[in-house]
Amino acid sequence: MSVPSYDDLTPGIPDVVDAETVDRLALFLQKDIHRSSRDQEVRRHSGKHPKTSCSPDLLTSCLYACLRLHALPTADSLQTANCQLLTVARDFSPRVRQASEREVLLDVSGLGRLIGPPDEIERQLARALRDARVAAGVAVAPTQTIARVQAHAATDHDAPGPWTQLSVQLLQELEALPRGLNLRERARPYETLERWGIATLGELAALPSADLSSRLGRRGIALQRLARGLDAAPFVPDADTPRFIGRLELEWPIDALEPLSFVFARLLDPLSAALERADRGAAAVRLDLRLTDRATHTRVLQLPAPMRDPRVLRTLLLLDLESHPPSAAVDIVAIELDPAPSRITQFSLLQRALPSPETLSTLTARLSALVGESRVGSPVLVDSHRPDAFAMTRYAPEGAKGAKRANGADGAGANGANGANGANGANGAKDAVLRRERRSVAVHVSVEHGRPVHVASSRRGVPYGVIVQAAGPWRASGGWWDDACRAQGRGPGDRHRNGQGAWNRDEWDVALSGGAVCRIFRDRMSERWFLEGIYD
Amino acid sequence: MRAALESLLRARKLDVTLAPLGPDGELTGPAYDAARVAQTGTPALDAALGGGFRRGHLSDVAGAPSSGRTTIVVRAIAAATARGDAAALVDACDTFDPASAAAQGVDLPHLLWVRGTGDAAQAVKAYSLILQAGGFGLVVLDLAGAAPAAVRQLPATTWMRLARIVEGSETAALLVGADRIARSAGGATIACETIAAGWQGTAHRARVFTGLAPAPRLIGGRRTEGGGRNADAGSGAKPPKW
Repeated sequence: MSVPSYDDLTPGIPDVVDAETVDRLALFLQKDIHRSSRDQEVRRHSGKHPKTSCSPDLLTSCLYACLRLHALPTADSLQTANCQLLTVARDFSPRVRQASEREVLLDVSGLGRLIGPPDEIERQLARALRDARVAAGVAVAPTQTIARVQAHAATDHDAPGPWTQLSVQLLQELEALPRGLNLRERARPYETLERWGIATLGELAALPSADLSSRLGRRGIALQRLARGLDAAPFVPDADTPRFIGRLELEWPIDALEPLSFVFARLLDPLSAALERADRGAAAVRLDLRLTDRATHTRVLQLPAPMRDPRVLRTLLLLDLESHPPSAAVDIVAIELDPAPSRITQFSLLQRALPSPETLSTLTARLSALVGESRVGSPVLVDSHRPDAFAMTRYAPEGAKGAKRANGADGAGANGANGANGANGANGAKDAVLRRERRSVAVHVSVEHGRPVHVASSRRGVPYGVIVQAAGPWRASGGWWDDACRAQGRGPGDRHRNGQGAWNRDEWDVALSGGAVCRIFRDRMSERWFLEGIYD
Repeated sequence: MRAALESLLRARKLDVTLAPLGPDGELTGPAYDAARVAQTGTPALDAALGGGFRRGHLSDVAGAPSSGRTTIVVRAIAAATARGDAAALVDACDTFDPASAAAQGVDLPHLLWVRGTGDAAQAVKAYSLILQAGGFGLVVLDLAGAAPAAVRQLPATTWMRLARIVEGSETAALLVGADRIARSAGGATIACETIAAGWQGTAHRARVFTGLAPAPRLIGGRRTEGGGRNADAGSGAKPPKW
């Protein structure tokens, strides 16, 4: 089996850098050599960071800065550190890109007019990182590649050496390799370069391109371009989707909802303010509660519309926790808001205003906490012959116009096709509404000549008496083809409770002497009679 | 003087008591603004109610099983959803049938259905939450399946509180029960009586049930079709007065 090579898996390298940039880069790198040697001299004598002057053309040309975390933190703190890096970067430029899990690139072109030369930009970025207490290095350079390599080469105390003296191994992180490439393939060109005695970027950059291409293929050329400081792709900033995360470690555990509401308020107020500044709303809220038993209680609330009112969000979280309480006291609270473009509402003078999504969310959450989540919503008819077949969906009256047609189609399927099973099925009782008994209500029915003549029940509130009119029977059955349904359909009560299982029954519409008109049915599997509902 | 009084009543949202009167003091037109009522979907009832259930007031529908009370309510919900109102139904005993409602024209996505567990107090609490939220055109509390004793055990102030919540809002609140429950001063009470069912065919195998034709009777203090006002002619238990 042949292993795909780098050339097979990658397209040709686009030439994104013009000749003028190459010349300018060469000039920059030459200055970089002189500057590095001079910096080392200055530092050796004075112990201070030297101030360098830069040519005016660099103040107006492309400039990129790379912020790189010195040490890779743990998974928990990596997210926080990255957020801080992004925050610092966004304070300087709106064009920001997360280059890797510990690197953030930002486009600082044109910032020279505001701040000064690149060295000054670098110093201000370093100061901002120190203020934010982030252990990260900074490098400013005309290309992303140089900025990333220099940020990588810099350590906590030492500036990177001259570009040409840097190790070739620094390019490993910068290569955009296809995922299908295994580790051996990834390391192969570096092993080859090591055998050739090529250890620095300067040596790699000086190799003849044609010979390098004939020996290392397309990847060799790509490495050489990186060694010359050229970018493999233009700078594409990340979409402006900052993360809205709030986290609070509590001094002592909280095991009640009321004190937790104050914590939520403290976290949600700044998050909502940040959302408002970004002209965004929260489409979803993720709540992570680290408990004292080291478990994490996670709840995700999908909101019907983007909203950012902290009081509404807090109420929704509290109501949700009321329904789904954590198993232990809470140690750490983390809230993440999923941002979405804000809602634009155009009210109509002619149509009546519907409840706002915030109101509906709160109301639905309150009702769900009161009666249960599955018992609140809008009914939807399903295309089934099963008696009382329906589903519940989230109540969203905005989508009603679109859903009306679908609902009508479903309704036609359920009512028109299911014959006697529908509420107003084959008997054509279009002017009557059935009040269904969803709990199993057994009745005693006397039958004469194959026709029910009397209904009795020991249960209070169930109509009884002599049957004065009867229509039927309409036989209905289903689910018998499915073993699972058959197994569940042990009794009609079970079917009524969970809406599943096989059914096989004879239905009658009967008028009782007391005036009530009911639908009763005989379950043919258990040979028992039940009350389906009362026409009202 | 009269104009000043009328403007003061309108400012206090008490203008519903104003009725256009002729020179001899007789009623000359509808007493209520069409925008302040919610049509019931039953033309005869709309005519009797002066356009429909009044918004901002609590009305009730009472009747025995198979008296057509649910049909009236479902038609009112259908009318509400047809005109774009949001409607809510608190179904205390979970007896609502979506298929029947869809056949009556209810736009189901516009209906918030709260399926109760048979607990009247819980249903009243859910009803109160919906009324407090506001924004609904019609909110119905169906207590017809609840035990009358459980309904009677609810404090009388419950209904007064509900009437206060809905007062001045754009919501028409409706209670449904086997007996008359309560209504606010501007609301209506509709009594449904057991009626003969419609059947077609002779032999039971060929016979079909064609439905009920509800004949509601207005016994609240609302304007009737003829322009007068009915006295409270109900024979059952009277609703609490406040």
